[in-house]
Amino acid sequence: MQHHLTLPNDINTIPQLGTFVEGICEETGVSMENTMQLNLALEEAVVNVMSYAYPEGTTGYVDIDINTVDHRMCIIISDSGKPFDPTTKEEVDITLSAEQRPIGGLGIHLIRNIMDEVAYERKDNRNILTLKKYLPNSLK
Amino acid sequence: MNITIQEENGGFVAHLNGRLDTPAAIKAQQDMVPLMENADKVITLDCEALEYISSSGLRLFLALRKEATAKGGSIIIKNINDEIKKVFMMTGFYNLFTIQ
Repeated sequence: MQHHLTLPNDINTIPQLGTFVEGICEETGVSMENTMQLNLALEEAVVNVMSYAYPEGTTGYVDIDINTVDHRMCIIISDSGKPFDPTTKEEVDITLSAEQRPIGGLGIHLIRNIMDEVAYERKDNRNILTLKKYLPNSLK
Repeated sequence: MNITIQEENGGFVAHLNGRLDTPAAIKAQQDMVPLMENADKVITLDCEALEYISSSGLRLFLALRKEATAKGGSIIIKNINDEIKKVFMMTGFYNLFTIQ
């Protein structure tokens, strides 16, 4: 089953992601824990697009498509903003002390930890980020 | 997300209630100014009613933690649920805070 959501680059629309993901996860029989983690990975990816893809002061859109087939959930986040590959960001060093830790960089780190596959491509002038997670205990 | 802050035993206790997603963290930054100002004391973040945290929320916690270190105070995090505990572990935050 395909599910789709389009959001403008407005941080205040982020809570809609929670409702969107929760609905799909409930239908698919995904555990609470995985639901929360999927919500988190999706929020991180979408906030990145909202923050970086479009010039400040302009309205742009981020498209989210989710489908589940054979216990594999595939989330595609795409936008028509400037080329931006979040997977090339350096790995965060989680062993650093609080004093040494930079404030940023956690978003992609969380996405990589939560999802089983993370892939970026630039196609037809769009950024396309594909996230996949295997959910062996889901209903579908 | 709501934060209620109370003075207690010379320190401060903040109760976090709801979801600390990106827009909530932007607002919470303002609400937490009294904590940043009093980061020389013991600040307890009671997360029993905290349902969700994203990297924006973690960043707030980290900023508070850094401020406490600079001012000689300490941050205690209490009652995080299992999901949030996992997020803390994934990001190495579990070792950055005193967690009760």
